[in-house]
Amino acid sequence: MKLLQCPVNGIRPVSEFTYGGEYREMPDADTCSDKEWATYVHHRHGAPGLKKEWWYHGPSGTWFIAERNTLTDKVSRTYLYGQENKA
Amino acid sequence: MTLRIAEQENEWINRDMPLTFEYEGQQIEAYEGDTISSALWAADIKVLGRSFKYHRARGLLSFANHDVNALMTDGQDTNIRADVIPVTHGMQLTAVNTDGGVLKDKGRYIDKISAFLPVGFYYKTFHKPKWMFPFWEDKIRKAAGLGKVNFNYPRITRAKRYAHCDVLVVGAGASGLSAALEAADAGSQVILVDENRKIGGSLTYDMAADVNTGSLLKQLTENVLNHPNIRVIADAYAGGYYTDHLVPIVEKRGITKVRAGSIIVASGVFEQPPVFRYNDLPGVMLSSAAQRLVNRYSVKPFTKGIVVTANDYGYRAALDLAAANVEIVAVIDMRQTGADGDLTAKVKQAGIAVHLGSCIYEVVPTSDKMGVSAVVVCAYDEATAEADLHQQVVLHCDGVAMSAGWAPAAALLYQAGTQMRYDEAVQQFVPNQLPDGVFAAGKVNGIFELEQRMLDGKRAGAEASRYLGKTTVSPVEVTAHRGNSPSHPYPIVNHPKAKNFVDFDEDIQVKDFINAAKEGFDNIELMKRFTTVGMGPSQGKHSNMNAIRILARIRDLPVEKIGSTTARPFFHPTPIGHLGGRGFHPHRLTAMHEWHVKEGAVMMEAGVWMRPAYYLPAGVKISNQQAVQQEALAVRKSAGMIDGSTLGKIEVFGKDAAAFLERFYTGKFASQKVGNSRIAMLLDEAGVIVDDGVAVRLDQDKFYVSTNSSNAATVYREMQRNLQLWGMQVTLVNLTGVMSAMTLAGPSSRSILSEVTELDLLDEAFPQGAYREALVAGVKARVMRVAFVSDLAFEIHVPSSAGLHVWQKIMDAGKTYGIRPFGTDAQRLLRLEMGHHLISHDTDGLTNPFEAHADSLVAMDKPFFIGQRSLKILQKKPLKKKLVRFVLDTNFSEMPKECNLVIENGEIAGRVTSISFSEYVNRVIGFAFVLPEQAKAGNQFAIRTDSGRMEMAEVVEDAFLSLSQG
Amino acid sequence: MQNVVLQSSVAFAQTSLKPELGFINGMAIANRYADPDVESRHAAKLTICDVSCLSRFAIKGPAAADTLKAKGVELPASANSWSRHDETLVMRLGSSEFLLEDPIGVQQCKGLSEQLQSGDGVHVVLRNDASFILSGELLDELLAQVCAIDLSGPMLADNRLAMTSIAGVSVIVLRQEVAGQSLMRLWCDGTFGVYLWETLLDIIKELGGGPVGFNQFFNSN
Repeated sequence: MKLLQCPVNGIRPVSEFTYGGEYREMPDADTCSDKEWATYVHHRHGAPGLKKEWWYHGPSGTWFIAERNTLTDKVSRTYLYGQENKA
Repeated sequence: MTLRIAEQENEWINRDMPLTFEYEGQQIEAYEGDTISSALWAADIKVLGRSFKYHRARGLLSFANHDVNALMTDGQDTNIRADVIPVTHGMQLTAVNTDGGVLKDKGRYIDKISAFLPVGFYYKTFHKPKWMFPFWEDKIRKAAGLGKVNFNYPRITRAKRYAHCDVLVVGAGASGLSAALEAADAGSQVILVDENRKIGGSLTYDMAADVNTGSLLKQLTENVLNHPNIRVIADAYAGGYYTDHLVPIVEKRGITKVRAGSIIVASGVFEQPPVFRYNDLPGVMLSSAAQRLVNRYSVKPFTKGIVVTANDYGYRAALDLAAANVEIVAVIDMRQTGADGDLTAKVKQAGIAVHLGSCIYEVVPTSDKMGVSAVVVCAYDEATAEADLHQQVVLHCDGVAMSAGWAPAAALLYQAGTQMRYDEAVQQFVPNQLPDGVFAAGKVNGIFELEQRMLDGKRAGAEASRYLGKTTVSPVEVTAHRGNSPSHPYPIVNHPKAKNFVDFDEDIQVKDFINAAKEGFDNIELMKRFTTVGMGPSQGKHSNMNAIRILARIRDLPVEKIGSTTARPFFHPTPIGHLGGRGFHPHRLTAMHEWHVKEGAVMMEAGVWMRPAYYLPAGVKISNQQAVQQEALAVRKSAGMIDGSTLGKIEVFGKDAAAFLERFYTGKFASQKVGNSRIAMLLDEAGVIVDDGVAVRLDQDKFYVSTNSSNAATVYREMQRNLQLWGMQVTLVNLTGVMSAMTLAGPSSRSILSEVTELDLLDEAFPQGAYREALVAGVKARVMRVAFVSDLAFEIHVPSSAGLHVWQKIMDAGKTYGIRPFGTDAQRLLRLEMGHHLISHDTDGLTNPFEAHADSLVAMDKPFFIGQRSLKILQKKPLKKKLVRFVLDTNFSEMPKECNLVIENGEIAGRVTSISFSEYVNRVIGFAFVLPEQAKAGNQFAIRTDSGRMEMAEVVEDAFLSLSQG
Repeated sequence: MQNVVLQSSVAFAQTSLKPELGFINGMAIANRYADPDVESRHAAKLTICDVSCLSRFAIKGPAAADTLKAKGVELPASANSWSRHDETLVMRLGSSEFLLEDPIGVQQCKGLSEQLQSGDGVHVVLRNDASFILSGELLDELLAQVCAIDLSGPMLADNRLAMTSIAGVSVIVLRQEVAGQSLMRLWCDGTFGVYLWETLLDIIKELGGGPVGFNQFFNSN
């Protein structure tokens, strides 16, 4: 079973975590077109590659971002939201 | 006649502990330490089973759990692998897959008609006439399979446990032992695992009569067992490799999941048989099997035997057998060039004849076809794989030891993602590119010579240490293989009458590969599935390399272009009980659980919670349905109370609390008054309803929000995530398990509650939707007026440690009013009577607020809330469906069920989401999705029941209660 | 609170063991399950003790640390670690949440809960913990069966605590040395208390240990 590093709690087995979907920037809900909004809500990029993902450490209630290569399943780094530069 | 010989130096049997057991009705004598097969062989019993398809008599082949020739049952277990399972006193065994015993198996006639049962026969034959196929299918299915499932198998818990180490070494042969010592000396915590009962690998049986092997084994073993950094787990196998170096070790007592910092695979190789006619007769076995038999169990493989070999290994085995006084008539070497000079000289010195460039063309069976009486030896052309019948000699013997080469036991390497390459020098697949933290050593790495193997283990141990950042050791140089290849590139002897076996599990012969290729199944994956080679219980351990070589020759391609199929976990079949372990199923109990159980509650699982569905008090004889109706009626007529502790409860505090709720939920909270509650409806980004709860304003910057029980964790998690995204000044606390909650409902609820609190409960002081804090039964409580199950109801929240106390006091006070506790079944009915829909029961993964009469809860004029933009888009489109309340026609004959369809003009127009008979209203009531044009009050629509009847229903605007007379 | 008897969230699981009952902090608790020498043997081999009744106080938020310091409470410096302030156990959960626990006879938590309310950047956290002491020579064997991470090593050294999962339940764990013996402290949501107690006790019994009452570790009334 995979190991994942929570920025606050350290390395834990993936069973302690919940996957929270890909990290995506929300378009401006007031100004974007209907099509842009629908794409944001319903479409995802299926191609493999480096993705930013939301992960949640259950026992401590910590949300963080993991940068994971979905082809090799290697996580290059994890960080709390907003602390990308410190990672 | 016994085949047991005098004590061998490092034998595994204990002659001071005799045992007896029964096989096929016969009493057999054995010693402690014997496996079932070694004891049987010692007793000169050589028919250990019947093959899967053709029911041919079988004896030992690998004697290493690389084949299932000897598969037995004791009536309870069906998968006893006699070659490796130790004898226990009093065992009673029979071979599986027989009808009438292993010797008189009725299935043996199938061998005679085997021509009609080639590979894939079931795809083609027995299909005409079509009506007969079920008859044949039944016969074939009964014949297939090994053993009978025991449906009374006792449930034995085999706990799983975790273990952690720096280096996991798989395989305790010469390389594994060396690797473990090297890593341990460098300071790593090492776990060394080996599937054999004793460590040492081939040092325990492959001596080639070298007396030094025994002392080397002893020394290495002692060093390992005494090393403080090494934990040895013997008699256990590494089941597979999982991400980040997680390897389950399967022991008899259960699985140990080892999380290692790095892993060294020193798992060795599987011996592959040369392929010639009747190479499967009892008495014909792999050379390493003969060596194990003699050196571990002190049993002769035969009295007078032949060794046939396509590599140098057969010579080594011949020397071991000769040293144990087993008569070897000759060594038949399939190679023109023969073996290493030294080995050849030793063999000849032992009085054994050597025939070069020769093969066994066929084995001559005994008259009962269950043993060996002689072999036909011919000159052999390696290029064409043909025997020259003009040059033949018949040699009498009662057994054959055979060698042709090896396949790497690389399952774990494959699973870890290792790239393999084909090495011409050793004619074997070896690791080419290993993933980080994964190392290989020894024969699996293509290193065969003993000194080099130990060096290779040392090298791997050093590399693993460096990988882990331990003290670096100077690099170890290992020499590549020199001399004859340990594996022969094509050890196959063609024969017009076939029965030259490649896969003994599945009875696959050489011609089966040729036929499969003819039909177009000519790449390794298709070949495997059409011939079923490698798909038996051994999963190709003794057959994989020969299969690849044969296909390569058919296709006229080099072996590496054919490739190899991968090996999946688990390395050996593993009992499901082992995989299950204890089976942890967490559940949550409310503070009042004990009370419910005492009062006869029928508890049901609601997610991880245990909740009363209804109550059947002791001594009261009512049906479930009656109990539910009675509980509901009590709420309508006097009072009832339900334990709602499972409700999600979240405190949202802070300067931005109201603003946060306004962005999170669809409603308005900024202007909500302290001491009031408002509905908190949550949508997802697509505008679909996710949850509806209640938000109570405790103070200017303090809210207490409830959610549906099943959504508590999700809502809290999403609040946490959005809080970060929005950067607002709010703190959240999840009080779901901290507070007990109970709802006291019904016309008498006010009177009952007033007996346990000083709080003014009258409408003026405590209107609908209001919130108050007060002592209830002496405990600080949060009290809300709610109207989910009844117009008059109070929801009381107290700290869980006081939950039982408060519940008990209210129930006591309510006795004279006829209070009834009610469960979730009655709650379902009550809320239905009140006309309230249930999220995710009456709504689904697509329902938006406009479809569910929730428009009023959506404040579209707010600057932002989750799902708002989607609703704006949806608003512009016509509605597709609408959720409505309905009553069923009083003259119905068949009660519709949830999910029965609404049919309009022969088309699906919707479905029933809730339906129930209400005693109070005396009608069948429910919720259904219908087309928007059907949604007007008074409109009739049709519901199709399970049997196809159409029952009529009528849309109702008001809550159902207004329909009742009372 | 007049005549209010509080319940340990684990009580339901213990009644069948027929313990001798006592009262701590208004809560009925199991003082003893068997003779003292039997319980001592359990404590040496492998045991679980329900200490849910101890008094606790919890607080979170950006201003939580300062608020506690202003009340004179010394805090552990790093996230996910613990310390003692006088005899009170002070746990830092993550970086801005604190859980304090008093041994019997100490009123620090009671005092703090009376003096402190939720306010600007400070959120008083109500809790309903099921809490256990685990100890004995076979403790690591028990943990190996219920926890996927290595709790025997450096993870809990140097006053560190961990928030992890045991037998499928989210828990806080830490190790303490008391009179030369290694103890494990464990907290979980009280609604999981019965399940966790029963699950751990089953394994403890299989390994030859047994439960001990509150008296084994504390001198109660």
